[in-house]
Amino acid sequence: MNCEECKNLISLFLVSGLDTAEAADVRMHLALCGDCARVCEEMSSFIDVAGDVTPDLVPPNSQALWCRINNIIENEIKPRPVPPSAEAKSGRFWSLSFGQLAASVLCIAIVSSLLTVVVVRSYSVPEAGEFIGKTSADRTIFDKVLGRLGLAETPQQLRERRMKEQQTAIDYWNARVQMRRLQWDRTTREAFDRNLQVIDQSVSEYSMILQRDPEDDLSGEMLDSVMDDKMRLLRDFSDL
Amino acid sequence: MILRSKIGIGLIGPAKTTILLSVVFFFAAFAADVTAQKRFSRTFPAGQNVRLNLMNRTGTVEVEGWNRPEIRIVATLEAPAANIVPVSDGGLIDINLVRDNKGRADVGNVNFEVRVPYNASVDIETRIGNLSVSNVRSGLVRANISSDGDITLTNIVANNVSAENGLGDIFFDGVILEGGYYRFSSMRGSIHLRIPFASSFRLIATAPSTRNITLGAFSNRDTTYVSDGRRVVGKFGTGSATLAVTNKLGSITFITR
Repeated sequence: MNCEECKNLISLFLVSGLDTAEAADVRMHLALCGDCARVCEEMSSFIDVAGDVTPDLVPPNSQALWCRINNIIENEIKPRPVPPSAEAKSGRFWSLSFGQLAASVLCIAIVSSLLTVVVVRSYSVPEAGEFIGKTSADRTIFDKVLGRLGLAETPQQLRERRMKEQQTAIDYWNARVQMRRLQWDRTTREAFDRNLQVIDQSVSEYSMILQRDPEDDLSGEMLDSVMDDKMRLLRDFSDL
Repeated sequence: MILRSKIGIGLIGPAKTTILLSVVFFFAAFAADVTAQKRFSRTFPAGQNVRLNLMNRTGTVEVEGWNRPEIRIVATLEAPAANIVPVSDGGLIDINLVRDNKGRADVGNVNFEVRVPYNASVDIETRIGNLSVSNVRSGLVRANISSDGDITLTNIVANNVSAENGLGDIFFDGVILEGGYYRFSSMRGSIHLRIPFASSFRLIATAPSTRNITLGAFSNRDTTYVSDGRRVVGKFGTGSATLAVTNKLGSITFITR
C-alpha cells in the first residue's frame, strides 16, 4: 500500500468501515509511514471532537463533508520527490563519442562565426573611405562566398546602396537650392549651373562605364566622389 | 587782331569744353566708384598658435604670411555691401560671410587681403572666386572653392595641406613634410605641384578622364600606372607623407622645386 491509498482509507479506518484485510494493511502502512500516521492522528482527534457534539450540530451531509476534508488534507501534503530514472542516472544523453563531440563543437563554431560575420556586415554602415578602399580585387574568397550566398553585399550592391543614400541627400539640398536660386544674381546662377552641368556629365559618364563594366572599381570610386561633389555644391549654394 | 582773337577763341573753346567735360566725367565716374565700394579694415593681436577661418561668399581671398604677431584683415566690399562680423575667440579669428549675411540675396563681392603670422593655420573658403595663400609655415593650410575659381598656394611649409575646387586651376609650390598629408582635388582644370625632388611621400594621382599625369623628374621605377593609365601610384623616398591628387576632367603635372 502506498501513501495515497492509505490516506484514502484513513477516514473509513477510523470509523471501522474497512474489512479486516484492508484495516490490517492500513495499520501496517501507518506503522511504517510517519506522514500518514500524523494525518491519521489529526483526523482521529477531529473525529473525537466531532463525536462530542450534539446531534443537532451534525451537518446534513456528513459523508460529503468528510470527503472534502479528506481532499484538503491530501492537497496539503507535499508530493514526494520522484526518484531519478535509471536513464538519467546513467547520463546516457551526454555519452557522445569523442568524434561526435568534436564535430558538434566544430559545427557550433562555424555557424556562430558565420552568423557573427553576417550580422556585423549587415549592420555596419560603410564610410565613404571604406567604400573606396574595398575594391573587387580586395575581396577575399570568404567575401565572395558570402556574396554568392546572398549573406553579404557585393561591391556593386554596396555602390547602389550608397548611391541611393547620396541621391536622398542630393534631393534634399536640391529642393532648398530651388527655393533660393530665384534670388541669386546672374553671376552666381551661371557659376552654379556651369558646375552642376559638369558634375552631371561626369555622373552619367561614370554610370555608363559601370553599366558596361560593373567591376571597374576606379569608375565606381569616381562616381562616388562626383556624387559627393554634387551634394557639396548643392549644400554650399543652398546657403546663399 | 580781332580775327586772331576770334580764331583763338574758336580753336581754344571746344578744346577747353572737351577737357572740362572729361574732368567732370572722370570725377563723376570715380565718385560713383567710390560710393559703390566700401572698405573694411581690422587688426587682431595673434599669439603663438593662431588660426584664421575665413568663409567668403563671392570674391577673392589673398592670405600672406608676415613677421608680425598680428592678423590684419582688409576687405573691399562691392555694393550692396556685405556684413562682416569677425569673431576672435582665443587663438581663432573667425570670419563667416555666409553666416553673417544669411537670408540676404543682394550681397556684392568681397575681396579680402589678409596678413597673418608665418606660423598661423589658415582655413579659407569661398563659393565663387580665387583663393591664394603664400609664405605660411604652420600645421594647416586649407583652401576650398565650391564652384569656379583658382587656388594658388605659394611657399607653403605645412603638415596638412588641402586644396579643392570645382572649375579652375590649382597650383601648389611648397615642401612635403615627413608624415604630412597633402590633398589636391579639382573637377576640371590643371593641377600643378611644385615640390622638392628629395621629397618622401606615397602618391596616388588620378586623372580618369584625360589620363594626363605628368610626373616629370618624379617618374621612377617605384611608380605604377594602374586602371588603364587613369591612376598612378608610387613611393618616393621613405614614403612617410601621403599625397593624393585627383583631377576628374583635367591634368596633373609635377614640377621639381
